[in-house]
Amino acid sequence: MHSVGRSWLLLTGFVLFYVIYLLFGALVFSSVERPVEDKLRQDVEALKREFLNQSCVNAASLERFLLKVLAANKYGVSVLRNASVASNWDLASSMFFANTLVTTVGYGHTTPLSDTGKAFSILYALIGVPFTMLVLTACVQRIMHPLVLAPVGLLQRRGMQPRPATVVHFVLLLAVVVLCFFVMPAAIFSVLEPSWSFLDGIYFCFISLCTIGLGDFVPATQPRQKYRQLYQVSVMVYLFVGLMMMFLLLRTIHKMADLHGLTTFLQLPRCEESDLDDARKPIVEDRHEAQTPPFLTEKEASKPLEPGSQPSYNTINTG
Amino acid sequence: MRWKTVSAIFFLVVFYLIIGATVFRALEQPQESSQKLAILAQKLEFLAMHACVNSSELEDLVKQVVSAVRAGVNPSGNASNQTSLWDISSSFFFAGTVITTIGFGNISPHTEGGRIFCIIYALLGIPLFGFLLAGVGDQLGTIFGKGIAKVEKMIVKWKVSQTKIRVISTLIFILFGCLIFVALPVVIFKQIEGWSTLESIYFVVITLTTIGFGDFVAGEKGGSENPEFLNYYKPVVLFWILVGLAYFAAVLSMIGDWFRVISKKTKEEVGEFRAHAAEWTANVSAEFKETRRRLSVDIYDKFQRAASIKRKLSSELGINTALNQEMTPGKRALSCSLCEDREAYPNLTLSLSPITGRLARNGSLYLNGLSPDYADRREVAIIENLK
Repeated sequence: MHSVGRSWLLLTGFVLFYVIYLLFGALVFSSVERPVEDKLRQDVEALKREFLNQSCVNAASLERFLLKVLAANKYGVSVLRNASVASNWDLASSMFFANTLVTTVGYGHTTPLSDTGKAFSILYALIGVPFTMLVLTACVQRIMHPLVLAPVGLLQRRGMQPRPATVVHFVLLLAVVVLCFFVMPAAIFSVLEPSWSFLDGIYFCFISLCTIGLGDFVPATQPRQKYRQLYQVSVMVYLFVGLMMMFLLLRTIHKMADLHGLTTFLQLPRCEESDLDDARKPIVEDRHEAQTPPFLTEKEASKPLEPGSQPSYNTINTG
Repeated sequence: MRWKTVSAIFFLVVFYLIIGATVFRALEQPQESSQKLAILAQKLEFLAMHACVNSSELEDLVKQVVSAVRAGVNPSGNASNQTSLWDISSSFFFAGTVITTIGFGNISPHTEGGRIFCIIYALLGIPLFGFLLAGVGDQLGTIFGKGIAKVEKMIVKWKVSQTKIRVISTLIFILFGCLIFVALPVVIFKQIEGWSTLESIYFVVITLTTIGFGDFVAGEKGGSENPEFLNYYKPVVLFWILVGLAYFAAVLSMIGDWFRVISKKTKEEVGEFRAHAAEWTANVSAEFKETRRRLSVDIYDKFQRAASIKRKLSSELGINTALNQEMTPGKRALSCSLCEDREAYPNLTLSLSPITGRLARNGSLYLNGLSPDYADRREVAIIENLK
């Protein structure tokens, strides 16, 4: 009972901390963005007044017109003269859309207009999202061995203790991922997209790879973009590989937390290796750390840990 | 999982994407072109109605308005009854959408400082939310597990099999969760936001899977509703998102567990099957080798006997007749003895049928009717072949 009470206490603590964190974020965003918003609003008001003064248009018809334009623009249909003739729903763009749907990034720069489209998106997402998560986890499981377990083993063989070895390796991995998946793509985007700065590029990479996907920056949506299809496909590939690396990082962090005893302390689910562990370990049961940290013994992902824990072929009928 | 499985699933995903792309294109492109035509017609009508406005001025205005809207400012209506998009409750909601990685995008930071802060905020907030989600999902799972255990205890009295109970309880879990976290909010959103049923379901699914397009956002009504209501409404929506996400995550992990169990069972079964098959093949090949060895020894024996008999015969009959290829009585006797032997070893003939066939065809011991002088070499060759 003590452990159950403790887990409830921890949960309430988490919720409280979460609420406080949200409030803090709200305060900061509000204070940073609001003045800019006010100024922009004043500018637009001035623009409208100027326009109305100069011309014979009355306010009401302008309002109506603007509303219609904005409604169309929400769905990506632009009324401007030099807007691209390319559709937002040709094959490559539709695939891009399907990709944002399935990886849960969800930019929202194009959204389904028709009712059938919306219904189909619902079904498509319900099937596609777990499927993609499965694929990503499977891929990460496979690359975990050469990218994480093998180097850590190497470091340990050179004489480092397990905990510092994991920390060193993690820092290295983080540096490599940041370089290859944030800095380089941001530089490329800032070159390819005329209106993006380098910071905008990094912002875009981060928001996309965390699957937040605000949609204020979306590549390949400029009018008269050259090689648009190729661009979109390469962005899709980048998103997929980048997501995989993020998952890998998350898994490494989880394993590290396991190793350093954080997950048992905070009573969270342990990191599972589905091809090694038979049953899911209960969350609360072992307060004390295991003799051999799971990180070390899972070095060779293909070998079973203890022969007794894996059902051999003979015991299948009895198990 | 093996590489083959992973790459197979990967290609399946790509195929799934392509299918989705074609379907979306077929569904949406006609709508899009009709929208384009409609808005162009509107523009022309507007220009025609108000002759003093020229096209470029209008374009300018539209461009500015569109970029303002993207920055979150709605220029329609006058300035007085506008609620800011960055008041505390909306910022709170925005922070929530960032941390849960939904990211609607109807509001987004536009200052450089805002963006940098957003990055740092998300870096810390997403893992935090992950922990919270794990904890909430765990509690949900425990509560539900206890309920299901009670139900299972009741059902067990009816003597239903374990798997059926498991399946039934999972179905109950999914149904119950759908009712609370999907059906109820759909009704509420329909009422409050004025969306259609399909749009509400669409919003709920898109939000709870954290896709978050942002074309429909709860609480976007802005100035029309009274603001105090909104102040309570948005945090409640956020709370619903949290619990609903935990529910979805629990369902997904259950599906994942099932898949893992199924794949492990399949792996075991396949492994068992492969082990049996390997055993069987090993046994059969061992038997076959043993048989061949016996055969070769037998044949060698026979040839040795035949050779010795031949030598005896030739020494008796004289050297002249040895070169005669016709069937001598001795040879005929030999072949007869071989025939007798053939009956004694039925298995031998069956497996050696091609060789004996050839032997029988020529009516002589030797293949191609070679002279006895080559017999020794051919014997050796045959034995070599048999080995």
